[in-house]
Amino acid sequence: MAADNSIVQARGLRKSFGIMEAVRGIDFDVKPSECFGFLGPNGAGKTTTMRMIGCVSPSTSGSLKVFGLDTQNSGRKIKQRLGVVPQEANLDEELPVEENLTVYARFFNIPSSVAQDRSKELLEFMELTEKRRARVSELSGGMRRRLLISRAMMNNPDLMILDEPTTGLDPQARHLVWDKLFELKKRGVTQIVTTHYMDEAEQLCDRLAIMDQGQIVENDTPQSLVQKHIGREVLEIRLPEKEKYQVLSLNTELIKGHDSYRDLLILYSDDADKLLEVIKNTTTNTDYTIVRRSGLEDVFLKLTGRRLNE
Amino acid sequence: MNPLKPFSFSPRQAFRVWQREVSVYKHVYKSTIVSNLMDPLIYLMALGFGLGAYVNRMQGLPYIQFIAPGLISSSIMTAATYETTINTFVRIHFDRVYEAMMATPVTVEDVVVGEMMWATTRSTIYATVMLCVVTALGLTRSWYAIFAPFMGILGGWMFATLGLTYTSLLKSIDQVNFYFTLFITPLFLFSGVFYPVDNLPQIVRMIAFLSPLYHLVEIIRPLVLGRLEYGILIHLAWIAVFVLIFTALPVNLLRKKLVK
Repeated sequence: MAADNSIVQARGLRKSFGIMEAVRGIDFDVKPSECFGFLGPNGAGKTTTMRMIGCVSPSTSGSLKVFGLDTQNSGRKIKQRLGVVPQEANLDEELPVEENLTVYARFFNIPSSVAQDRSKELLEFMELTEKRRARVSELSGGMRRRLLISRAMMNNPDLMILDEPTTGLDPQARHLVWDKLFELKKRGVTQIVTTHYMDEAEQLCDRLAIMDQGQIVENDTPQSLVQKHIGREVLEIRLPEKEKYQVLSLNTELIKGHDSYRDLLILYSDDADKLLEVIKNTTTNTDYTIVRRSGLEDVFLKLTGRRLNE
Repeated sequence: MNPLKPFSFSPRQAFRVWQREVSVYKHVYKSTIVSNLMDPLIYLMALGFGLGAYVNRMQGLPYIQFIAPGLISSSIMTAATYETTINTFVRIHFDRVYEAMMATPVTVEDVVVGEMMWATTRSTIYATVMLCVVTALGLTRSWYAIFAPFMGILGGWMFATLGLTYTSLLKSIDQVNFYFTLFITPLFLFSGVFYPVDNLPQIVRMIAFLSPLYHLVEIIRPLVLGRLEYGILIHLAWIAVFVLIFTALPVNLLRKKLVK
């Protein structure tokens, strides 16, 4: 991998809290102007990784460079160029909406006239102009998230890190946020996003690292991940245990892989309809069948398992 | 390994933290300044006029005149204490203001020093307003009184150090009450605000000498009443040594709490 122009470069990165290892030696590179996603179940180490990139949590070992600078001793310089959108809104409840932006800008030593102009611009961009004098507590969840993103953009960051940017939002608000993030990407702002929504990862991310239990289990483009692990289509059938084996023992190239959960058999294939025809010849028990396009969720469940990790 | 090496501190960034508090204060000062200063003023009236009617003279002064400088001192203590206990706790745990600041080029050291600067500012504002009220009531006797608010800087710094240290050890906001009932209230009552401690038994005087508020009172009273003696320097030195020794303590404790 070309390390020279990487915005973020991690090698053997680890983080422990006491005996709990949250991140267990991960390597990844984020390239300029791309949107890089961390996808994983709760507790996979996504937020910890984001906090290390944001220079607010020291790594335990390994190396982590942002803009070519070491996060261990260049925190201030790195943070000057970062835009951070945390998972839970930590807006300033004691200040009205517009001052949330202008006061925040001071921490970056942005002159107040510049901050005034930029806050107006960003409130416009995020469709919050009407609320500029409102208290934060009067905002809806979607508005808060948009204000958080605006705040993170006050310093014109070269890299934005967004931790679950649309968790808890209704579909309209999610699409608005996605739309804004897409516009940012078009402007060339590099983004790192964590999410456990597959559609979000597919919408936003050029490349994905799937994390599980503190490790990166896969790292590729969404399309390649689906192609590599699943194929084009998925066939779901509910069958008794014995007949599952019958189906799986079919000697056909149509089955690229499979997963099984209780009475559900999930078959990965490039042509699921044809596969279903073949299966119908061996078993009569095909009342419940679904043929659908494959997606990232199939990859995710295949790689991180179907059990709850909590 | 720790990325935030000791003293990753920038005066400019601490000033930015202070500015944030000023911005917030601009929205609330009208309501808070009245409610916060009500407390010492009620003491001044109730005890000064009420108890004062029975107490003949205290150190050759009308009772109300004796306690007025003491209450200027205690307003310094309460201003810095409220700011660094309840308000700081809310900023750490509920509003997570510090977390937001630390995502910017602000370090935990900048946050702590900025908060101390702000608590000190608030103490100075309160001491100034109290001095104005006391002067309006005709209880000031010397032009040296104009130096009393400056003691808000040193006194506010001292009580901010104490308050932040306590807050950094807290698990729940209910524990803030202990600080007031077991520390602030006894200081208020036993530090020479309401009666001189000089004539009390040796043991009480020794305890008073450990009280941070006592030294503040012993500086501000002579200033307001124009009774300057060299003894003031001892009290000034006591406070100066205190802040020099203990300022680093809350910085380290809060770093442990905020950087994980």
